[in-house]
Amino acid sequence: MFDTLDIGASGLVAQRIRMDTIAQNILNVNTTRNEKGEPIPYRRRFVVFAPTRQARSKAPGVHVREIKQDQGAFRKRYEPGHPDAGPDGYVNYPNIDLSIEYVNALEASRAYEANITMMETTKAMLNASLRLLA
Amino acid sequence: MFISRLLNQGNAPLIEQLLEFTAARHKLLAENIVNVSTPGYVQKDLSLTKFQARLRERVAMRRNAPPGAVSFDDIRGELEHPRHGILFHDRNNRSMEHLMSEQAKNALMHQLAVELLRKQYSALENALKERIA
Repeated sequence: MFDTLDIGASGLVAQRIRMDTIAQNILNVNTTRNEKGEPIPYRRRFVVFAPTRQARSKAPGVHVREIKQDQGAFRKRYEPGHPDAGPDGYVNYPNIDLSIEYVNALEASRAYEANITMMETTKAMLNASLRLLA
Repeated sequence: MFISRLLNQGNAPLIEQLLEFTAARHKLLAENIVNVSTPGYVQKDLSLTKFQARLRERVAMRRNAPPGAVSFDDIRGELEHPRHGILFHDRNNRSMEHLMSEQAKNALMHQLAVELLRKQYSALENALKERIA
């Protein structure tokens, strides 16, 4: 049953990476340039989870298979005075919807809590089993 | 031989199987919980009703058999894929409420089994010491 703690840990790590990705999206909601300073807006990122297969030395669980970029269209806003505005006066903003990010953050937080609860239960069950020896 | 027969009397072997079952089921429920956001993940569980039915059947067999003749060691939980919960767009039929309640029930059953086993062992210990509890 010690394996079960490893399963819970894999869930915690996966949800934390998801939360990091969401945080990155939220803080880049108005980023209109890339890291090289070119006028290419930030693209929304999202994690893709996959179940981990059980191996000899590895407990089953979950892992982040990849962090993908959302290929959806950028938001356009008419701001002719903006340095990154195109010839038509529109500025491309990241394809991030804050309400979607908030909902995803809430879901990740709840899943994280569920994993913690599951690990607490595992500990209680292990403690109960160990009392058989006392 | 004597020790084996002594330990296999009463409900101890039955409770031991129940402990193994609850531990295995807890592992599967944990897997379901960590994969709650995994697209296409199929939920797994062990059938409690089938396990209980097998235990009942074996207990009935033991009543008419000599002590130690009927073993419970081969009784295992049967893997099933529960269909409860809504099938989401990512083909995962998660139901967090169901998972958490099943996990709580399973943990309680595990603790109950541990307590029962402790009582059995303590009664055995008292008998060996020729002491009344």
